[in-house]
Amino acid sequence: GPFGDPGEVREGFLCPLCLKDLQSLRQLQSHYEEEHSSEDRDVKGQLKNLVQKAKRAKKKLLKREGDDRTDSGSQERYESFSYGGVDPYMWEPQEVGAMRSHLSDFKKHRAARIDHYVVEVNKLIIRLEKLTSFDRANTESAKIRAIEKSLVPWVSDQDVPFCPDCGNKFSIRNRRHHCRLCGSIMCKKCMELVSLLLASKLTSASKEALGSHTSPNSSPNSVHGSRRGSISSISSVSSVLDEKDEDRIRCCRHCKDTLLKREQQIDEREYTPEIVKLYEASPTLCCFHLPKLRLCMEKVDQKAPEYIRMAESLNAGETTYNLERANDLRVEIQKLYEFIDALSKKILSLGLHENPQPHPKTLQLQRMIRYSATLFVQEKLLGLMSLPTKDQYEELKKRRLHMVRQVKLVHMALETHGKQEEKQKDFISRSTDTVNGDATHLKKGTVRKSEGWLPTSSISRESEIADPLLQQIDNITSFIKQAKAANRIDEVHMLQENLRQLQDEYDQQQTLKAIELSKKQAEEEEMQREELQVLREKEWEREHHKLMSQHSRTCSLDFREVKHHQHEVAKEDRNLTAGALDLDITQIKGDPSFETPAVEQLPAKEHLIFTLKPQSVPQHDKDKDQTACLNPFEDEADTPQSEEDPGNPFAKDTSPVVSFYNTALQSDKKEYNPFENEEEDEQTNGAPHSTSNPFEEDENPFQKPLGSWNSGNPFEEGSSTNPFEVEDGNEVSGEEAIEEELLLQQIDNIKAYIFDAKHSGRMDEVEVLTENLKELKRTLAKQKEKST
Amino acid sequence: FSNVISKSDVKSLAEADEQEVVAEVQEFYGDYIAVNPHVFSLNLLGCCQGRNWDPAQLSRTTQGLTALLLSLKKCPMIRYQLSSEPAKRLAECVKQVITKEYELFDFRRTEVPPLLLILDRSDDAITPLLNQWTYQAMVHELLGINNNRIDLSRVPGISKDLREVVLSAENDEFYANNMYLNFAEIGSNIKNLMEDFQRRKPKEQQKLESIADMKAFVENYPQFKKMSGTVSKHVTVVGELSRLVAERNLLEVSEVEQELACQNDHSSALQNVRRLLQNPKVTEFDAVRLVMLYALHYERHSSNSLPGLMTELRNRGVSEKYRKLVSAVVEYGGKRVRGSDLFSPKDAVAITKQFLKGLKGVENVYTQHQPLLQETLDQLIKGKLKDSQYPYLGPNTLRDR
Repeated sequence: GPFGDPGEVREGFLCPLCLKDLQSLRQLQSHYEEEHSSEDRDVKGQLKNLVQKAKRAKKKLLKREGDDRTDSGSQERYESFSYGGVDPYMWEPQEVGAMRSHLSDFKKHRAARIDHYVVEVNKLIIRLEKLTSFDRANTESAKIRAIEKSLVPWVSDQDVPFCPDCGNKFSIRNRRHHCRLCGSIMCKKCMELVSLLLASKLTSASKEALGSHTSPNSSPNSVHGSRRGSISSISSVSSVLDEKDEDRIRCCRHCKDTLLKREQQIDEREYTPEIVKLYEASPTLCCFHLPKLRLCMEKVDQKAPEYIRMAESLNAGETTYNLERANDLRVEIQKLYEFIDALSKKILSLGLHENPQPHPKTLQLQRMIRYSATLFVQEKLLGLMSLPTKDQYEELKKRRLHMVRQVKLVHMALETHGKQEEKQKDFISRSTDTVNGDATHLKKGTVRKSEGWLPTSSISRESEIADPLLQQIDNITSFIKQAKAANRIDEVHMLQENLRQLQDEYDQQQTLKAIELSKKQAEEEEMQREELQVLREKEWEREHHKLMSQHSRTCSLDFREVKHHQHEVAKEDRNLTAGALDLDITQIKGDPSFETPAVEQLPAKEHLIFTLKPQSVPQHDKDKDQTACLNPFEDEADTPQSEEDPGNPFAKDTSPVVSFYNTALQSDKKEYNPFENEEEDEQTNGAPHSTSNPFEEDENPFQKPLGSWNSGNPFEEGSSTNPFEVEDGNEVSGEEAIEEELLLQQIDNIKAYIFDAKHSGRMDEVEVLTENLKELKRTLAKQKEKST
Repeated sequence: FSNVISKSDVKSLAEADEQEVVAEVQEFYGDYIAVNPHVFSLNLLGCCQGRNWDPAQLSRTTQGLTALLLSLKKCPMIRYQLSSEPAKRLAECVKQVITKEYELFDFRRTEVPPLLLILDRSDDAITPLLNQWTYQAMVHELLGINNNRIDLSRVPGISKDLREVVLSAENDEFYANNMYLNFAEIGSNIKNLMEDFQRRKPKEQQKLESIADMKAFVENYPQFKKMSGTVSKHVTVVGELSRLVAERNLLEVSEVEQELACQNDHSSALQNVRRLLQNPKVTEFDAVRLVMLYALHYERHSSNSLPGLMTELRNRGVSEKYRKLVSAVVEYGGKRVRGSDLFSPKDAVAITKQFLKGLKGVENVYTQHQPLLQETLDQLIKGKLKDSQYPYLGPNTLRDR
């Protein structure tokens, strides 16, 4: 077989398309042919190009530049590699060599032998049973003799002049004795005795076995198998007892041997060595409800992959699995590890304190079991990734939702844009006569607009349809389906990995688009809002008296409406505003799913509606709440997406982009609200603070008049309810928590390395690692201080 | 079982299995050690006594060869070297097994039937006497490879965990890429490897200042460890090789060895051998090898001065055990034994070739020698291998199969 691995720099034979690690060149080739031959070459090239371009760009942005070189280097090496004159890769694939089974022959011989033996044993035992079926103690010896003779034909004395075992001549002194079981003759010296106890043990075992022997296809010697352990204690006594001759049955050496062998078999059947009890996973032994080493290992083998799937999914913020269930599973698996550890330790120390030390081979077996258990735990435990905490998980979910939504946003923005554009024009025409206080900003906005994002949008829409990434994603999705149908699990995994990467790539692209678009959108909305405000001011003046006469409760229930009006109301009725704000924040806190889509969707539409029918707001708001909950994006959250894979460069990249997005949004806001800059900065900086204390403002409603004024503006509201920003804030604390988790994990890892290094006696490494461990522990302590 | 077992063995095994614990009885043929994809060994030392097989070793060799054929699924035609009686014996034994186990050897026939060519080392006693200059060969020659393991315990100042290292192309990329390269190339490659490692090293050993650093450290650590293991291993091995080369003056020795093997200038060769015998840096082992090469090449030369060289060896204090090897090797692989001519080209083509070679000058003085095997295989592939020298065994029966 092929043996070198020229492509390996770090991971071995990487498929250039899906980057899957194949074990050998041959596997790689066949993988390539199997997996990628169906793909169009051009698409392949295109895709490869795309991914590489994207990667390069990203590296420039976020990563050290060295990777690119090593990557391309590995490929060159892979292509230019030659095997110094011997090129086993040119060889035909080697088939599995010839083989031959001797099992049928073996079984034939074995069955014949065992059959023979079983017949022999059974014959003896049946005779033994008959010999002991009458009351020997109360029967005259002559009569016993007669019975015995009638059961087994005795060999006639004349035929045997010498003892067949020892060869001594029979005489008056050296008398003949008959074996009661087979009738043969031997001298007294060669005669053996079977105690009645042994006889009853053997016969009763057989009877039981015959009684329980229902399965026809059990092995021949299971005929006299027994499952009860009650008799084994008797046998040990039997040899010691000194009985009368009547209590024993004379027999020859051969019969006795056969019987003893039989007894040993019975005993062995009853006796399970301690080590087997701890180790075995066979179902017959599991009824003791004691954990067995193998059983635990099997359970881990079953459960660990399930858990890893769950953890990966959860860490990616997906909602396919339940966090609590995953936690339970984790605890369960950890418990199993503890069992494995404890059991293997127990096995290791078996018999160590007994006086005749166990056989060295036994000890070696015990050591090897312990060793393999340790390896097992090490290997599996290290692969067991941690779960996010509840808060983190919420965070992840949000982030993911956010990602998905950003992608969707682009589509939505594109669709709604046309409409908005028209409506906006309408606004402008309607409000041309109003004097705008922030004319410069408005101008700026329009200037930007005049730079034109409309063409961009149409382009991006087109490019989206023709996006090779999407095509590829579709392709792979169908591959996965096919592979699933074909039950090729590893391929499915590989493809899913592939898909994930593509989706990340795609999301990345979409996010960038989304950022651009939402920037533009924000500008426009801003413009609209200002126009709106002017309009509203007018209207408000008209409605003012009417509104003030309304019960304040309506206002606080209908916070959205209040918000829009608060702008002016606040100045005159701060009490009311504070109440509204209070409610506002609480509600937002209590309903995270509400805030996310609402803020995004609201601005354009709501303002529009608001201006048209300012009085019908309450009903309208409720509707919106519902739409928010039924928001289709939530379903989207189930699609597989980037997991928090440390090896995945895309996952990490998202957060800077998001925060970049936030700042972009904020800076936009600053542009049109210059007089609020300070306030906004404060809010930005204090974001985590204010989120952890949602009611702080409410406690001092009068201390922050400006703040409440802010909240009256739906856009400023955005700065505190903006999901991006909330996330940003939480991220800070979340990151800390993650880091802590990570630290703990790493400490575990390093401990394992140290163990490993110690094991193989590399002391210098141990030192370096211990140093690292200390460092990590220090950092952990610091981290903890910081977080508390 | 890794080879064919007898039916009676199966029977006695079966009868002993009173507890019915045996679940499978299979033969998988692998009764040999695969060193490389194209090389296997039976790890036998000294399979002949004089010019005849040690019977036990013959049967072991037959078993190994048939196991190889079975695992490769080949039922070959057999050719052997006519000049060698042991080769013929082995060929017959293999054929006997094939005939006996014809059911096992009933493989799909290929257009070009596989060929088992049995050669006798004594036909080319020169090649194993030469110092080699490719990585694997050098390691094998100077340090010794035993089942992919190399004993470095005699290396001065060796650290504990490098006492014994494993060189396996299966999981050592550097080795796989370099095992057939010559020493000079390995030198530069190992330099690259070191540099590559150094580039990574500072990254690993810098202070872990941020979480990201630590994360990277933990992620890279196993890989780093593997790499550092590879680096230290190869640096040690190559270092030891070059130490030995310098200590034993092997470059000079090898140059003379190559001259003895490839050129026909007796006086220059003799002069060079004499010069090296005076050199105290040349080990007695290398000295004896030089004399052995001289003895093989100029065995029948008119001005053969082997006795003089032997005297010099004795004067140098070379032990008798070693000195005896000279006559032994001549007996083993001398002209009388050889079926083919090792030293003088046979036909016009070969003569022209050597002439041209002489004109062009030699590219690398240390690797001039081409083993006889290369020529033999070349002829075989071209279909020019003479039936008279390498006859088929039982031409009709086997070729018909």
